[in-house]
Amino acid sequence: MYSCKPIRKILALIVIILSLSLSKTSFAAVAVPDVAATDAAGVEKVKAGMALYKANCTACHAIDRKVVGPALAGVWDRWESEAKLVAWVQNSSKLIASGDAYANKVFNENNKSVMTAFPQLSAEQVMDILLYIKNPGVAEPAKTAAATDGATATGTGDTKGTSNWYIWALITFLAVLALLLWSVTSKLDKAVREKAGETVEDVTLDKKIFNKKTFKVLMLIGSILLVFNIFNGAIDLGRSQGYAPDQPIKFSHALHVGQNQIECQYCHTGVEKSKHASIPGTQICMNCHKYVQQGPKYGKEEIAKIYNYAGWDPDKAKFVEAPKNIEWVKIHNLPDHVYFNHSQHVKVGGIKCQTCHGKVEEYEVMKQFAPLSMGWCINCHRQTEVKFAENKYYSVFQKYQEELKKGTKAKVTVEDIGGTECQKCHY
Amino acid sequence: MSNKKYWTSLDELNETPQYKEQAAKEFNFEINENDTEENGGTNRRDFLKAMGFSVSVAALASACKIPTHKAIPYTIDLRKAVPEVTPGLAVYFASTFYDGSEFANILVKTREGRPIKIEGNTESPFTLGGTSAKAQASVLSLYDVSRLPNPTIKNKKSDWKTVDAEIISKLDTIAKSGGKIALVTGTVASTITKNAIEKFVAKYPTTTVVSYDAISSYATRKANQISLGSPVIPTINYDKAEVIVGFNADFLGTGISSLENTRKYASNRVPTKDKPKMSRHHQFQSTMTLAGSNADYRYPIKPSEEKQALINLLATVGGSGTSKPLSGKDANDGIAKVAKELLANKGKSVVVSGTNDVDIQLLVNAINGTLGNYGEIINTAATYNLKSGNDEALATLANDLKAGAYKGIILLGANPVYNTPFADIFKNAIQKAELSVSTADRADESAQYCQYITPDSHYLESWDIISPVTGFYGFVQPTIVNLFDTRQSASSLMTWAGDTTPIGKFVQNEITALTGANYEAAVQLGFYGTPALTGGSGANVAASVAAVKADGVATKGFEVVFYEKIGVGDGGYANNPFLQELPDPISKVTWDNYVCVPFSFAKEKGIESQPADKKVPTANVTINGKTIKDLPVVVQFGQAAGTLAIALGYGREKAGRAGDMVGKNMYAYTKSVNGVTSYTVDGATIELTGNTYELALNQTYHTLMEDNNLPMREKKYRGSIVKETTLEEYKKNEHAGNEDREKIKEEFSNSLYDGYKPHDYKQGHHWGMTVDLNACVGCGACVVACSVENNVPVVGKRQVYRSQEMHWLRIDRYYNGNPDNPDVAFQPMMCQHCNNAPCENVCPVNATNHSSEGLNQMAYNRCIGTRYCANNCPYKVRRFNWLDYQGADSFGKFNDGKRSFTDSESQDYMFEDLTRMVLNPDVVTRSRGVIEKCSFCVQRIQEGKLTAKKEGRPLKDGEVKTACQAACTTGAITFGDQNNKESAVAKTFDTDGRNYFVLEEQHFLSAVGYQVKIRNKDEEPARFFINKPGV
Repeated sequence: MYSCKPIRKILALIVIILSLSLSKTSFAAVAVPDVAATDAAGVEKVKAGMALYKANCTACHAIDRKVVGPALAGVWDRWESEAKLVAWVQNSSKLIASGDAYANKVFNENNKSVMTAFPQLSAEQVMDILLYIKNPGVAEPAKTAAATDGATATGTGDTKGTSNWYIWALITFLAVLALLLWSVTSKLDKAVREKAGETVEDVTLDKKIFNKKTFKVLMLIGSILLVFNIFNGAIDLGRSQGYAPDQPIKFSHALHVGQNQIECQYCHTGVEKSKHASIPGTQICMNCHKYVQQGPKYGKEEIAKIYNYAGWDPDKAKFVEAPKNIEWVKIHNLPDHVYFNHSQHVKVGGIKCQTCHGKVEEYEVMKQFAPLSMGWCINCHRQTEVKFAENKYYSVFQKYQEELKKGTKAKVTVEDIGGTECQKCHY
Repeated sequence: MSNKKYWTSLDELNETPQYKEQAAKEFNFEINENDTEENGGTNRRDFLKAMGFSVSVAALASACKIPTHKAIPYTIDLRKAVPEVTPGLAVYFASTFYDGSEFANILVKTREGRPIKIEGNTESPFTLGGTSAKAQASVLSLYDVSRLPNPTIKNKKSDWKTVDAEIISKLDTIAKSGGKIALVTGTVASTITKNAIEKFVAKYPTTTVVSYDAISSYATRKANQISLGSPVIPTINYDKAEVIVGFNADFLGTGISSLENTRKYASNRVPTKDKPKMSRHHQFQSTMTLAGSNADYRYPIKPSEEKQALINLLATVGGSGTSKPLSGKDANDGIAKVAKELLANKGKSVVVSGTNDVDIQLLVNAINGTLGNYGEIINTAATYNLKSGNDEALATLANDLKAGAYKGIILLGANPVYNTPFADIFKNAIQKAELSVSTADRADESAQYCQYITPDSHYLESWDIISPVTGFYGFVQPTIVNLFDTRQSASSLMTWAGDTTPIGKFVQNEITALTGANYEAAVQLGFYGTPALTGGSGANVAASVAAVKADGVATKGFEVVFYEKIGVGDGGYANNPFLQELPDPISKVTWDNYVCVPFSFAKEKGIESQPADKKVPTANVTINGKTIKDLPVVVQFGQAAGTLAIALGYGREKAGRAGDMVGKNMYAYTKSVNGVTSYTVDGATIELTGNTYELALNQTYHTLMEDNNLPMREKKYRGSIVKETTLEEYKKNEHAGNEDREKIKEEFSNSLYDGYKPHDYKQGHHWGMTVDLNACVGCGACVVACSVENNVPVVGKRQVYRSQEMHWLRIDRYYNGNPDNPDVAFQPMMCQHCNNAPCENVCPVNATNHSSEGLNQMAYNRCIGTRYCANNCPYKVRRFNWLDYQGADSFGKFNDGKRSFTDSESQDYMFEDLTRMVLNPDVVTRSRGVIEKCSFCVQRIQEGKLTAKKEGRPLKDGEVKTACQAACTTGAITFGDQNNKESAVAKTFDTDGRNYFVLEEQHFLSAVGYQVKIRNKDEEPARFFINKPGV
């Protein structure tokens, strides 16, 4: 018979463990719970925290290492109360001024650099951020999934190539096998017949296959394939969709645009003003990298390259020599006879960068997304609607304006106003 | 409707068979002139070889990897205060162009920090936004690879520290020993250079400063010393004068401040319906000048007769003096007519002479004084600082140098071994001197003998203040850092004088002191002050007349006139290929000087068939016992009988690759008469050699012809190409000279091409252009501006000879009337952007087609080079790239070999990385084998539209200016939207009775309207119909 003793013992153990664990929690200065991936409400809060963290904290903090400010992991253990931590985040100077011992300690430990005040963050939001810092993995699945998706997507591309190769190999193998079998059977057949006393004409395999007729057909097919290939190859000459060369600095758009949410225009300053979006010089890199001295993937190695190009001495924290040119490998190469103007497309046309450059925010290595072929340009010009109503310049097209008003014309495309004519792009 | 016969060349006038054959042809040469099998040219085997090669190269090329391009960011050194530059956007800097005689307030267009184009500064009260051919081309001189990259000692590379130390030590030695130092300069209109010279003289008091001009106006200053009491050159208000009488004065082309004067002149030469009045211009001249070609009446006189003509005129207008009849009847009649008109316009007329002769200038002053033209028209309140050279000082210096009086010679930008009559004296003196320094930017004819060359910076790299007239200043600011290790000459002088203030700081302080404001604002505007418009005292007539020497001139033989051409000027621009290739407005010759002979001489010598094949006869011309051998002979209509004319500024030996050995140097034949350099010589003989010379001549091809077989047109001799009338007829009828237009519209309402509907331009833009033939003086600034803006290549002398020049815009020059003294008409001719364009229909690959904005588009990369379009273009404005002129071919440099500008098949100046910096990055360079032509500056249209779109507003009229329009100082060219009924172009098209379209009866529906040329003549001149001038 079973007694209830063991059950009691187990229960007791659970209670002890629970109480121990609880008591451990109660000893911690700021209570930040763990969140399980299955806890929907908790995950929501973690996600909210992640968003806030990325928007407000990443410029100076990382979770697991010191950047400008200290590493944030374990911050809940370092502060004595939630109220003080929140007060620090909302306005650290005030807390320091109040003479709080730990606040002054942190301030002094970090070269007396004042942490930006975030009065807009509520106590609850600060706690959400802490929740994320403690449980970063919980908010990640979506991202990991996306990354995996990406990997699979590129993977499939590769696999597709590979599987095609396998299929062709398989077909060839089967064809050879079929031929061999056929040859064997025909030889056996011949042997059997000869045994039976029949005289059999000696038709070899090669003669059967490579007679004049098949030769002609093969030649024809071969020539067609050759011409087709040459034609396609000629069209593709000078085109380089998917081109993703190694760059002198392993700059990641995924990190800067995707993770850190930096606007494209912050670096590509010309995009609304000029024909060139322009690749930023080190003077723009250094706006942030004076402070951000370590990257998440390559540590200090790649950022040190920027310092070298910029002539910046991180120890002395000043520019010590003239900047050197970073020789980026140019990815988007339009032929010389094409005039392209970024400001026309971005400022006037309101085209998103991603339309032509793809999901740059996900590119670890920059690549050419669009084919940049004339057909690709023209297609877009045929389909894209001109911002006719918003821009007074287009008042010069009176006929279209009337037709739009009357409703006889649904939309005016770039092509309608001459956007596919030679000298819009070639001069 | 004009019934005049217009001709462009002697061949056409005589209608030689050669001419007829050539006029019908598209290209004026045999394509394979040497390329026959006998000459070792192409045969079947070569063809197969070439084909095999092409196939293998193509295969190889396709197997190659695509080349890796680099993207270099625009990096800013954050340690310095550097202005923000947005790559792809142009930045304009106000600056000043100045070359001793010409002055222009300009804007320098820079892209990514490099100057690529000069535009006029429209804010300027002095030049009002006009530019000249020289100013337009000057940006190319910045990138001249012939410039010295560093200071030199005895033509060996050195550095500034060494050079300065050595020069200062030698100067000190010379000055301490009391040795004399000669500082030879050109005209100094720069207050900075003046200041530097003063400092230098203060430090080295034994210095003598001598300024001279290669082509001098010293006599004017000397005469004004007597007439006005000071050696000044007054400004002249050509815009206010009702009657202008020029005596050998080329005030439109090459005279003092010609840009400013051209603008003033043209402003009173365009009558309108509401204000049908214009000035009348008489010109007495020996050879045809630009000013002369624009005159209403011309009277050929010999140079030796000019003084007597002026004496006669003075006597006729009521002054003292005795008249003596001149040799030509025309001239005698002219004096009487001119005198009558001058008397009727007292105080509203002007007589000018360009002759560097004190007596002549005194007589001119006396006439103007008698007529009361001072004050209102001749403005002595604002006088020129330009052309302030002193011929007497130069002659004295030459004498002293001969005697070895100078121990030190410093040439401040002067090149006396080339451009004075004292070449040998200077050469010897420089070689013997203890110290010889030149600040030339290259080792030129004089600098090569100097111990030290301290190369000057280009003006686009310099700081300066230039004062062209009293009370007006133009500021020069650097638009790029020094390309080479050079230093501004003023800075060099200051250094040697012991003042080491950086020149930039010094000029900034001077500007602040001058304007009393922040120098940055002043420099941004580019100028300071307003020149006085009228005023000053009149001339002392009695003193002027009294000072005229008694006439005792007896001349013999041919009289030779040395003149200046609008392109290379006095020779300072000889190494600028844009200017070398700019056709002379009158003779239409490029890359050469030559001897101009009068038509009567041609008749006498039987020079009948010349320019169609461009092989002109040559002659030996003997002047003062020295013979110039094998000068090409050009028949110049309108040149006075018994005269010859040869241009100065050619025959440079040390100018650089483009300018060396082009033509002959004539400075040696000028001479100093009574201390004044004379540019006319008598007693010359000319002898035809029987040889021929291949002259790079334009205008005898690309001939516009009308279809004389059309029913309404009998033989009208270009009556529908150039239209002209007289002011009297225009006053009666605003359609004068253009009467046939209504009829043309009626009769030729159908297209040449059945079923070919003109495009529908009811909405959007429809670009159009107007060209006012009255405002156009033919100066050629537009031609150079077009070339610079659109990367139009320079092709070199040989290719121009083969009629393969690439100019998108040319100025056709037509003569009509008496060949001994014809009328001249200029007609800028560019793609007419026809709505029924004959070129478009014949292109087999649709490389040229029409845009919805009315542009005749040219897609270079679609063009396969059939040249059908060029063949079918009635205006002959399409140009074919026979060679790779700009290194645009995919396979790189095809034109290897010898690449001199003058005699090789092609040249490679645009292959140099440095020179390529001048290219406009918004316009593609065309490769070999494609057609190109005027695009109406489509890149500017697109830019203007984009700016309007970005600002969300309609495009304004006048916002988009073509390069030719922006460059034109007289406003002859207007560009705009025909659909905008308020635009200047639409208004001219719709309401101006003078407007017509060239070859309109063919119904090409061109988009360029021309306005009938109006001459201010009393009566329609005698019509001159000749089929064969058997004379």
